[in-house]
Amino acid sequence: MLTYFVKRLGLAAVIVSVAMFLLFCMIYLIPGDPASVALGPRATEEMRAALREKMGLNQPVILQFWNFYVGAWTGDLGEEVLSGRPVMTVVLEQLPFTLALIAGGITWSVALGIPLGCWAAVSRGSTADRIVGILSVAVIAVPSFVIAIYALLIFAVQLRWLPAIGAGEPGNLGDQLTHLILPSLAVGLGWVGYIARMVRASMLEVLEASHIRTARAFGLPDRMITYRYALSIAILPTVTLLGVGIGQMLSSAVFAEIVFARPGVGKLVYDAILTRNFPVVTGTVLVTTVLFVLLNLVADLIIGALDPRVRSSF
Amino acid sequence: MSSIFSKDISRRSVLAGAGAFGAASLAFPNMAVSADGSVLTIRSYSDLQLLDPAFWLSLPEADIMRSIFAPLVSNQSGDEWAWRPVAVDSIEQLDDLTIAFKLRDKIGFTDGYGQMTADDVKFSIERIADPANESPYAGDWSALKEVEVKDTLSGLIHLKNKFVPLWTTTLPTPASCIVSRKAVGELGGKIGTEPVAQSGPYLLTEWVPKQKTVLTRNPDWAYEQGGYEEIHILPIEDPATAELGFEAGDLDYTWTSVSSLPRLKENPPAGSVVVEKPSLAYVWLGMNKDNETLKDVRIRRAIQHAIDREIVVDAAYFGAASVGNGIIAPGLPGSRDSVTYDYDPDKARALLEEAGATNLTVTLDILNQSERLTAAQVIQANLADVGINCEIKQNDSGTFWTLGSKDGDYFMDLQLVLSRFSMNPDPSWATVWFTPEQVGVWNWERFNDADYKALHEEGLVESDPAKRDEIYRKMQDLMDESGCYVFLTHEVVGLIHKDTVDPGLKPNGEPLLPLFKPA
Repeated sequence: MLTYFVKRLGLAAVIVSVAMFLLFCMIYLIPGDPASVALGPRATEEMRAALREKMGLNQPVILQFWNFYVGAWTGDLGEEVLSGRPVMTVVLEQLPFTLALIAGGITWSVALGIPLGCWAAVSRGSTADRIVGILSVAVIAVPSFVIAIYALLIFAVQLRWLPAIGAGEPGNLGDQLTHLILPSLAVGLGWVGYIARMVRASMLEVLEASHIRTARAFGLPDRMITYRYALSIAILPTVTLLGVGIGQMLSSAVFAEIVFARPGVGKLVYDAILTRNFPVVTGTVLVTTVLFVLLNLVADLIIGALDPRVRSSF
Repeated sequence: MSSIFSKDISRRSVLAGAGAFGAASLAFPNMAVSADGSVLTIRSYSDLQLLDPAFWLSLPEADIMRSIFAPLVSNQSGDEWAWRPVAVDSIEQLDDLTIAFKLRDKIGFTDGYGQMTADDVKFSIERIADPANESPYAGDWSALKEVEVKDTLSGLIHLKNKFVPLWTTTLPTPASCIVSRKAVGELGGKIGTEPVAQSGPYLLTEWVPKQKTVLTRNPDWAYEQGGYEEIHILPIEDPATAELGFEAGDLDYTWTSVSSLPRLKENPPAGSVVVEKPSLAYVWLGMNKDNETLKDVRIRRAIQHAIDREIVVDAAYFGAASVGNGIIAPGLPGSRDSVTYDYDPDKARALLEEAGATNLTVTLDILNQSERLTAAQVIQANLADVGINCEIKQNDSGTFWTLGSKDGDYFMDLQLVLSRFSMNPDPSWATVWFTPEQVGVWNWERFNDADYKALHEEGLVESDPAKRDEIYRKMQDLMDESGCYVFLTHEVVGLIHKDTVDPGLKPNGEPLLPLFKPA
């Protein structure tokens, strides 16, 4: 297990390094002068040149990458172009909001997707199964920003049950949770469909397995067979799916953060790209890439913990 | 090994969590912030980055700075451009080159930095003007010779030359915000996002990055009190989001997009007031006269005649904005009632034929915003009507704002460009960007006219309103004649606020935070 863990960590480091290099190349290929964007129309050419120098933009890209790479290993992601605030501080300020949003999205998708998938599987071929199937495909097909806007219009503007914008008062957990409901629904609803489909398919397979037939032969209640014996195995692909889904949810978070005017790394990196605030772009993407890789690692480890067959292959 | 699911923990906890989530929505219903005199919640289009009068970056920062660092004077709320004293007891122009001021005697800096003095005024103004400090706002004080301190509260501002825009676009801006010499010195010469030595009617008491900025009434401010105990400023870039936030009751005041204005005017949300203000912005189609395809003035004139400006503006702004006739907004000296070219496709075709331009294809660069795209599509149709094929190229803001820069590699390839600038309420603020010095900087049309330059210099020192009016009209006529410009609109500014709020607004709708009060 330890060897497996160390190997996975090593692979994660390689993945992050390659991702960072690709990102660096992309950033420096796009047109636009960060100094002009940052300083605005009234800055003189001397001021723009000084800012380019400060940002290290006059250095070869490979050298800029190396400086960033070495700094990143020591936790130094550089400074924000204009305010001079450490990028690590800026990113860490925003990261909890995105993590909360993704956690909320996962909560919605798991809370709705797993029961729906189980229900569809045990009611195979019934009207309920068909309805769940149609609904699953429908929520997968609708883009998250559309869900976000309609959820906002219905629950915030029309009914005024929930707030429309922001992340809630700092320190007020209730207020923050209230502000999380609609954005997390927008992020997680599409995944309800994925998970329901995945759970249904896995459950159907598992329900045909010999140990389930044995359990039935022993006269165990259907409920116990479904949720204790079948679901515990059928859930494994879903955990893997959620690990991958976190990356997708990070993308959806950008829309949700913009539509709901929430803070978060999605909006942070979006704004930073528009303003060519390169240190923030690279710092944020590094942190989110590391996060994504680590969460996938955690998903793999959870599967290992859940499934003795996987664990024995470590 | 038993799986974690075998204990039903997951399913039950998940369901319980979902239930708690739902309960939370009922337990904490939408908490709309009160506008009853305690808290005002408004939107700004960006978060703050620098709260330094010498280095600020965006208008929301300027609004905050004018609230927390008392300026000598600030704009008056209303429909006329006027100023009101803030930090000064008196201020007057003694002659063309001298302004005398006397500070109010009960203005102190927070954090133990003592009373505001004339020496702080000298420091604050001269640090902006000093080229060594590389302030982007040095131009505001380009005419400054020095600030002379007469005594603790009095002084004289000496100018090198007459500077007419001083009272309209320098003094009522952050360029007259007074900071503490001692405090800024201790900070190393620059103020960041955590201001010290605040002195205005409000104090910045909380900044949560990307979430909100809280201004609180300054308990030591002895003069006109702000209307609200607290002002919460939420950074919301997207106007549509802000409009929804307002309709949901989360905001008391916000700007709206121009395209939303007709809808909001027709069906205003309950308990709200929709306001339309004239804008100082100007939108135009520019043509790069140094580009190979457009170097013949007849082709540029043909394009001027080919475009139906009324339809372009109507389509892009849903009828909310009217056609503009130059770069100087109505109400300012030099504003024109018409341009020197008309919509005449036949004349356009004739000019193209005369220039021998057949099968002409041009590229129109725009910013990737819906209003610009709509305008560009109408322009594209207009040009097709006279035989010009127009390809629209959308750019993100980071790319767009460097297209015509001489530091890039596209400025000579740039052909048509749809641009929008905003300005302060003096015509020189509009004309300065089209001088020969700005070619390849912000003058992307590469319009280079010595007469225009001379008139611009003349306008800066001419105080007779009638003569200024004539100067600036003539300058725009020269722009017309160059064939480089099709002036489209000055847009309008849309605002919406709760009817319980009496907003303090400049004539162009920009907020004056200390002047907001309960209705």
